[in-house]
Amino acid sequence: MQKEQIFPDVILNPDVGYWQINDNQISWSASFLDIIGCSAQDVHIDLNYFLYTVLEAGQRDIFRYNYFRLLKDGEDFEQSLTLRCKNGILKEFKCKSALKLSQKNGYSNSKIISFIPLKIKPDAHVKDDNFFYRETAEMNSTGSWYVDFIKKRTYWDQETRRIFEYPEDYIPSFKHAASYIAKDHLELAHQLFQQCAAHGKSFKTEIKALTAHQREFWVKAIGKPVYNDQKEIVGLRGVFQDIDDNKLKELSLQKTAEIISSQNKRLFNFAHIVSHNLRSHTSNLSLIMELIEETTDETEKEELLASIKDVSESLNSTIEHLNDVVTIQTRTDQNKVKVNFQDALDLVLKSIISLIIKKDVTIHSDFKQVKSINYIPAYLESIFLNLITNAIKYSQQDRTAIIAIRTYMEDGKTILEISDNGMGIDLEKYGKNLFGMYKTFHRNEDAVGIGLFITKNQIESLNGEIFVESILDHGTTFKIQF
Amino acid sequence: MKNTTSLACIIDDDNLYVRLLKKIILTRKLCENLLVFNDGRESIDYFETLLQNLNEDKIPDIIFIDLNMPIMDGWEFIERFTKIEKLFKKVITLYIVSSSIDPADIKRAKSLSNIKDYLIKPTHIKELENIFRQTA
Repeated sequence: MQKEQIFPDVILNPDVGYWQINDNQISWSASFLDIIGCSAQDVHIDLNYFLYTVLEAGQRDIFRYNYFRLLKDGEDFEQSLTLRCKNGILKEFKCKSALKLSQKNGYSNSKIISFIPLKIKPDAHVKDDNFFYRETAEMNSTGSWYVDFIKKRTYWDQETRRIFEYPEDYIPSFKHAASYIAKDHLELAHQLFQQCAAHGKSFKTEIKALTAHQREFWVKAIGKPVYNDQKEIVGLRGVFQDIDDNKLKELSLQKTAEIISSQNKRLFNFAHIVSHNLRSHTSNLSLIMELIEETTDETEKEELLASIKDVSESLNSTIEHLNDVVTIQTRTDQNKVKVNFQDALDLVLKSIISLIIKKDVTIHSDFKQVKSINYIPAYLESIFLNLITNAIKYSQQDRTAIIAIRTYMEDGKTILEISDNGMGIDLEKYGKNLFGMYKTFHRNEDAVGIGLFITKNQIESLNGEIFVESILDHGTTFKIQF
Repeated sequence: MKNTTSLACIIDDDNLYVRLLKKIILTRKLCENLLVFNDGRESIDYFETLLQNLNEDKIPDIIFIDLNMPIMDGWEFIERFTKIEKLFKKVITLYIVSSSIDPADIKRAKSLSNIKDYLIKPTHIKELENIFRQTA
């Protein structure tokens, strides 16, 4: 046979099968064809044919890895293999590449792999274990990895390659490990890795990884140090499990829980209004009626009737507040439109111009950085109105009230900031009630305790957040993140 | 023993309610004098100042306190007041008077040993008469 002749005599042995690879062209020796019970006519001399019909499934990855390392990097390897031989019998072989040998014999461009038969029968249990291990790994989308500090190499099994969407022959990079992790989790990954490498601290975490196609996905990453005989850490090993589906479900569930909890809080406030604020009016009413029935004095009766008017007015305003709260929940479906910050502010200032003149308030606004936003116009106006009138209400008597309003970007989100130089608020004491309904903290006649409650609810119903910072006697800054 | 309470104290931010209560107390002569505060802070300031110069006539026999008030609510007042109560050397009867029918509020009130009772607004005239008769 023609092909036979290119194999060097020195290593020719009838019991041993040989492969010779010349520039990606594989040739199999007659002895190898004989081992696997095929003739040159009915066999595809091809790596995949070997991997999928001859080689035991559990050994595919390692062999493929070694094979490509040999071809690409010229790294010799040696491993045990189980092959399906003549009549389907499984036999164990020692597989060895002999790059150096072939070079020595002048075959500088060709690589030789030999398959030396071993006398022992393959261990059925080990074989089964491998099979089950592989199945388990595949079903759990769990791949393993190993980072070797000495050789400065990273090794991945086939499953890791699959979940990271890299081709089967991909060789992971030792230097550019950062390219496998999503940008916003790089620091966490770096920290865990360093802790493990330097102090032997194992890690088990959920982290966002990055596939070959730059797709972000969640993995559970477990890592442990690998020690040499001197108890030095020489590498790390561990597994990656693709948990993207579950994690996304978990995150969306978490989001839903947050929405429910905020709605629940609003409901609770309703219950509170009904239980307390509406009841206080009705109980006053019934007390007045009781007094009217008892008294015979006409002037007193008239006086009592006049107080019914007071109750009716308070009842009205409570119901108005209730209505304000209800509309927040129903309005959120409304379409957002592009709103200009300056326009919305001008509209609000126009409506309170007499208050501004009376209290001699200075208002600075700067919307250069972010000029407009997609929002419900009425909400933006209500936010401006509530925070500005609050700032005026709680301004310090002995100095000119100055309110500074500006917009800017932070972490990719639009921020609206409204600061004043007013009396400030003791956040340690009142912080937790600041945005609550009917909570007032100042001895101020027009303190109603509804504005901030409404503002917070409007902002949150559109997935935003409101923060406050304050120094007593210096002023307060409200920061709205849209 | 006198047959009227000498001094009663009302702590409530609902001005209308205070007005009505005052009317009931004064027209029926349920007590001789009445102290009124609009929130817990005002009243605790009064009591803490009073400690520095104990004057029997200025210590109320009975206190009606609302729960939901601005600046300092009823709970905070009770907490602060409990700490100094004994120093007055006089039996001061504390009633919570609230329009809240929240079971959590009622349960919390019952757990406090120095709260005589939790009255739910509206407080009827007969009810008030009974309370004052007991205290007098």
